[in-house]
Amino acid sequence: MKTRIFSILCENVPGVMMRVSRCFTRRQINIDSITVGIEPSGLARIILLFQADDHMAELLRRLISRLTPVIDVQVIDPGTSIVREVVLLKTRRLNNDEMWKVMHHVEKAGGRILESKGNALIAELSGSHEDIEKVIEEIGADVFREVARSGQVIISRELE
Amino acid sequence: MVVMTGAKAIVEALKAEGVKHIFGLPGGAIIPVYDVLYDEQEIKHILVRHEQGAAHAADGYARVLGKPGVCMTTSGPGASNLTTGILNAYMDSSPVIAISGQVSTSLLGRDAFQEADMLSVMLPITKHNFIVRKPEEIPKVVKLAFEIATSDRPGPVHIDLPRDVQVGEADVQIPANVTYRKIPKLEPDVEEVRRAVKLLVQAERPLIFAGGGAIWSGASAEVVELAEMLGAPVVTSLLGKGIIPEDHPLSLGMLGMHGRMAANIAVTECDLLLGVGVRFDDRATGDVRYFAPKAKIIHIDIDPVEIGKNVRVDVPIVGDAKRALRAIIDGLRMQAVRQRPSKWLERIEKMRKELAPRMDYDEVPIKPQRVIKEIMGVLNDDAIVVTEVGQCQMWAAHYYIVRKPRRFISSGGLGTMGFGFPASIGAKVACPSCDVIDIAGDGSFLMNSQELATAVENDINVVVCILNNRYLGMVKQWQDLFYRGRRSAVYLGETPDFVKLAEAYGAWGDRVTRPSEIAPKLREALKCGKPAVLDIIIDPEEHVLPMVPAGGRLDQMLT
Ligand SMILES: Cc1cc2nc3c(=O)[nH]c(=O)nc-3n(C[C@H](O)[C@H](O)[C@H](O)COP(=O)(O)OP(=O)(O)OC[C@H]3O[C@@H](n4cnc5c(N)ncnc54)[C@H](O)[C@@H]3O)c2cc1C
Ligand SMILES: Cc1ncc(C[n+]2csc(CCOP(=O)(O)OP(=O)(O)O)c2C)c(N)n1
Ligand SMILES: [Mg+2]
Repeated sequence: MKTRIFSILCENVPGVMMRVSRCFTRRQINIDSITVGIEPSGLARIILLFQADDHMAELLRRLISRLTPVIDVQVIDPGTSIVREVVLLKTRRLNNDEMWKVMHHVEKAGGRILESKGNALIAELSGSHEDIEKVIEEIGADVFREVARSGQVIISRELE
Repeated sequence: MVVMTGAKAIVEALKAEGVKHIFGLPGGAIIPVYDVLYDEQEIKHILVRHEQGAAHAADGYARVLGKPGVCMTTSGPGASNLTTGILNAYMDSSPVIAISGQVSTSLLGRDAFQEADMLSVMLPITKHNFIVRKPEEIPKVVKLAFEIATSDRPGPVHIDLPRDVQVGEADVQIPANVTYRKIPKLEPDVEEVRRAVKLLVQAERPLIFAGGGAIWSGASAEVVELAEMLGAPVVTSLLGKGIIPEDHPLSLGMLGMHGRMAANIAVTECDLLLGVGVRFDDRATGDVRYFAPKAKIIHIDIDPVEIGKNVRVDVPIVGDAKRALRAIIDGLRMQAVRQRPSKWLERIEKMRKELAPRMDYDEVPIKPQRVIKEIMGVLNDDAIVVTEVGQCQMWAAHYYIVRKPRRFISSGGLGTMGFGFPASIGAKVACPSCDVIDIAGDGSFLMNSQELATAVENDINVVVCILNNRYLGMVKQWQDLFYRGRRSAVYLGETPDFVKLAEAYGAWGDRVTRPSEIAPKLREALKCGKPAVLDIIIDPEEHVLPMVPAGGRLDQMLT
């Protein structure tokens, strides 16, 4: 099993996510991350991460390509692409030490503090899934009351 | 551009697609369309008695004509009654267009009266489905629906039509101008064809395995030509029956769980298998590890999803069966095809003779094999044989010699009891000059016997031949063979009296108990000028044999 990334270009019509996601459900594959954005052309781009062996990944690619609203399925190699995730972190009330610790780690990781009130704050971070996991681990997960993650967005490194 | 209601637009759009028949049953949410149909001359509406019947009839119609059959219902229960029929069409890649009414868009999602979320319900059982939101979208949606249903691998398409969209007026243009984004890949790759030709030239024991896709593609002439050119025998799936005349010296009949012994042995012995429009279903292949174990496999299929899904493939050819076969034939012509070592053909010839199944039983109660033999003797090559599901179906599949494509219609992938009778109604509407018979089981026939009313009222004169064993016979067979004869919930009792049932509907009915009566009574039934039911009392103890147990090897058949 390997991590697979599909970048799916499709018509932006209601139900398209359901059509795509049921290809996975039916074959008992869990989707690790799914994001959708609208391209300048008005078409939607769905980015999906999942784990599967070669055979299953190829079957899924063909199944999704077959769907009527789907225009193109790109298989993205995680090695040659940029993968990012955005997280918003909301802390509980913190004591001074904790506060400094959070601010230190967030800034070190290139993030910023968006709001603070009383002794709680909201921070923003972006980076690879693993980088973010690391920061959260270093700070200590018990500090956070809420963690909102964007899911992973991906673009290939290729430039014209 | 003309201003018209959505209801008018849908009827005009259907006419623009050449639709001549609709099978359906109305209700509140589709009355506006039925109101337009009231004045319609070009489209004949056939009122069914249950919407499942409408879907199967449209499916049978499509399989005979090779173009879409149309069914129509109201919202909620009308639409949900279609689902088994639509799923059946989906499993067997049949182009059915289903249109159902829906509550008005303003009520959607409020659990309105007879609202069902048909977009979600139909989604996994159609090739594609739509909900129309504005009357002006109708021509485009209908055009796309037909395009999708018939392009590349055929399949059913559902259109959900809210009531306000039917009633609302719009400027519409029919036929619509739409470009379907998905351009099917019909032409095979030259390189793939070249590799296939090379393997075919080298093969000592080539075999062609043709299926439903070859029928949809209209590739019958090509299959026969290639078989004769190569000296390769032909086996078919259930849905491929008739692609080659089954009494052709190179035809070995159906393979698989209830296939012919010769077909299954040939698959096991061949050194090259050319699959044409088949999806290598487990009923056809048995245990895939022992399927064609000595062979290289070439697979022609229009749907890339099917390539390598169930069996390993050495040369995949993505494209339309007819075109791919034509390319292979042309490729072979350029080569000096050496004469096939006659050993393989001798072997085939010998198996055809020695393993030919026996049908000439004289016993009473009648043996089902004999029934099929008698039916075969009465019908001509253009007659359409439709089947129900179960032992009756497998006796028909195993023994009936089909000589033309689209003349044997059966529910393969879903195995839907109750398919046969309404599908035979659809088949008869598609080809009024053909004799159409439904080879039925008593259990299956009861699942849609209400359609006798449809047949009688519309003068659709099909003949139902019930192989009456008073059992859910196929389940009983499994219980006899694999559950120590514990016949749990399979005895159907002595009800109903099928002759009286037929007569109650105003159909012709008669009972047959001796082999010698079958042919004369069938002739009478075909000539009686009414829909007919022949209640043929058969030996309830008879099993369909030979048989490959589920998941077993094709070369290890129970006899
Ligand atoms: C009780 C019971 C017993 C059964 N026993 C058997 C048995 O013994 N043997 C048997 O064979 N079946 C049996 N079946 C049927 C079986 O379940 C399958 O339905 C059947 O084998 C499928 O046949 P297929 O692969 O030809 O068909 P289809 O399901 O019709 O598939 C068609 C294939 O052709 C492709 N195709 C479509 N159009 C084209 C085109 N233009 N060009 C190229 N490719 C195209 C499609 O993509 C698809 O892959 C049984 C069914 C029942 C209910
Ligand atoms: C709708 C449906 N329900 C259940 C089954 C399971 N099943 C397969 S064959 C069969 C028995 C069919 O009985 P009958 O029509 O009398 O045919 P026979 O096998 O006796 O010839 C059953 C119940 C099915 N295929 N379809
Ligand atoms: Mg029965």
